[in-house]
Amino acid sequence: MTTSQEDPTVAGSFDERELERGPIQEWVNRAIEDPERAYRAMFYVAMLFFMVTTLFPFYWLLVVAVTPGSSYALVPAGVDLSAFGSVFERIDFLRYMFNSLFLATVTTVFVLLLASLAGYVFGRLEFPGRQPLMLLILAISYFPPAAFFLPLYRLFTGNVFPWLELYNTPGSMVLPFSSLFMPLSIFILTTFYGQIPDGLEDAARVEGTTRLGALFRVIIPLSAPGVATAGVLTFIAVYNEFFFSFLMTDGGAGDWAPIVGGLIQLQRAGQFEVTFSVMAAGSIIAVLPVTILVVVAQEKIVSGLTSGALKE
Amino acid sequence: MARVQLDDVVKRYDDVTAVDNMNLEIRDGEFVVLVGPSGCGKSTTMETVAGLTHPTSGTVNIGDREVTRLPPKDRGISMVFQNIALFPHMDVYDNISFGLRLREYEKAEIDERVERAASVVQMEGMLDRMPDAMSGGQRQRVAIARAIVREPEVFLMDEPLANLDAKLRVTMRTELQRLHKELDTTIIYVTHNQAEAMTMADRIAVLNAGHLQQIDPPLVCYNEPSNLFVAGFIGSPSMNFARGEVTNDGYRSVNGHLGIEFDPMDAGVQPDQSVTLGVRPEDVYPVADAESADEPSDPVAVTSDVLEPMGDEIFVYLLTNPDADVDLEDQNADNQLLMSVSPDSDIEADEEMDVVFDRSKIHLFDGDSGDAIVHGITNLSTGAGSGTAEAEGDD
Repeated sequence: MTTSQEDPTVAGSFDERELERGPIQEWVNRAIEDPERAYRAMFYVAMLFFMVTTLFPFYWLLVVAVTPGSSYALVPAGVDLSAFGSVFERIDFLRYMFNSLFLATVTTVFVLLLASLAGYVFGRLEFPGRQPLMLLILAISYFPPAAFFLPLYRLFTGNVFPWLELYNTPGSMVLPFSSLFMPLSIFILTTFYGQIPDGLEDAARVEGTTRLGALFRVIIPLSAPGVATAGVLTFIAVYNEFFFSFLMTDGGAGDWAPIVGGLIQLQRAGQFEVTFSVMAAGSIIAVLPVTILVVVAQEKIVSGLTSGALKE
Repeated sequence: MARVQLDDVVKRYDDVTAVDNMNLEIRDGEFVVLVGPSGCGKSTTMETVAGLTHPTSGTVNIGDREVTRLPPKDRGISMVFQNIALFPHMDVYDNISFGLRLREYEKAEIDERVERAASVVQMEGMLDRMPDAMSGGQRQRVAIARAIVREPEVFLMDEPLANLDAKLRVTMRTELQRLHKELDTTIIYVTHNQAEAMTMADRIAVLNAGHLQQIDPPLVCYNEPSNLFVAGFIGSPSMNFARGEVTNDGYRSVNGHLGIEFDPMDAGVQPDQSVTLGVRPEDVYPVADAESADEPSDPVAVTSDVLEPMGDEIFVYLLTNPDADVDLEDQNADNQLLMSVSPDSDIEADEEMDVVFDRSKIHLFDGDSGDAIVHGITNLSTGAGSGTAEAEGDD
């Protein structure tokens, strides 16, 4: 034994040790010899962790939605799709979905329009106070939304100006959504618009546009990935928003309540029991539009985010 | 077609004055080239005419209108940019017709005009191409078509050939001249390439440090530069300069090795006045070729230093005082003289020799202001001005 440990031939001593080790030690030894194995293993562990934490709740939602009765198991006892139908039968779920999509679309258009103007100014013009203003916008985007709620609630319920009553209308949500999600769009668009060569804008202006015309005819079309990114991110953020969506309406479909309101209505949809399966089915349906949007637009989002990051 | 007039135009940025008191009148249908080194204010001057930048003070007139405060679109101009600036998201047709569509021309009219503009620049049949599918020369021609299709009153070109390769640049240069002949539009052209300036311009405007130095036809700028800057900038290789002063019987360089005899009174200079002598490399001759000069001066003893054979000619660097160091940093390297000789010359490096100057091509500049005093020191009794063929004895 002593002689073999002192043996200068490395291969021989490794052979010796391997025989003495259990499977874990053996694996570790191989990982040391080939670090790629360790990295791959870490990758799988991390992936598994994320898959379980993000996808398991969704899977459970599915189980709850399709399981008949209320005895839920990892593998559903049976498949009963009737809950999906009940979602639309018990309440006007389509109207809730329409409300959500409408609010998201209007906010996105509004945000893109204003953020485009701001992005043009911040990205293409030199003026005193540009940096402080940019920081101010950034700071506002970090404020907790809840801090705005009370004053906005008072304002929108007509307690500040009697003629201004936006509660239970799209305006009560579109306005706070816009101001909350605008900074991100401004940042994205500033980066993109700042990258368009001055010559192109000059050319457009000489050819006959105003500065604004050059923005819409040349700069925005050339920044399409950035505009798409800002648009999709805003749309998803609004669609997923809970706080103002929940508090700025009474929760009825006719009150412009978005899907949050619908899901809460579904909770009360059963007469004597909590209808988990219907709520779960409604949740799954609510997720679909965003899923579709992400699948369709993911290439643009990725290219938009990375190209903006790289070129800055 | 219109004339362009700049009156007392000043453009100041935070810390620099890009254009200082510019007065420039460009005649109807004229091809004027603004030329000067980087940062001389030529591009700013053009942007002022285009309306892309507003002058700090002064006025700009195009035709009979004052346009100082008008946006670019209302000035009746079009422009070709250095970086070509085709809209990458539009095909050739949309690029060329961009301005017409903005002005809401009839579809048929647009088609016809685009067709015509494309044929002027020989780009017919490529109207559905995208800019990134074309070569640099093709893109530049589309940019020119976009500029001419609106039939502007003034055509501005900001170094349009700078990004093209050398061969294409020469071709496009000829095409632009042909275009100017065809369209007869006023053209203002910015370049730092003096070969472009010399070959294309009706008149060259030489700018330096925001000031207009001279505006004259190319050959006048070449033969009668108004000051040291123009003399050094126009012509390649650059004119030789030697600082010196006026003596009782002519000129003597500071290092004492270069002298030209003439009567100071006739040249309009005073003895002891500090002057700079300028002579172009092609107006310096080996003494054996003295008869090639219109008006050979007395021989000057020099030593050849370095030879640069160019094929069609040889540049010979001469030292008037071979013992002194050559200060290459100094523009007025008084000791060094460049001579251009024919390629069959048998001059060798480090050879002692005599050279003569063509007196009719010698320039004297004021030593302090750099302004030209006299061009050619022959027959000076007629006063300052360009030399005549008539000989003048060395008195």
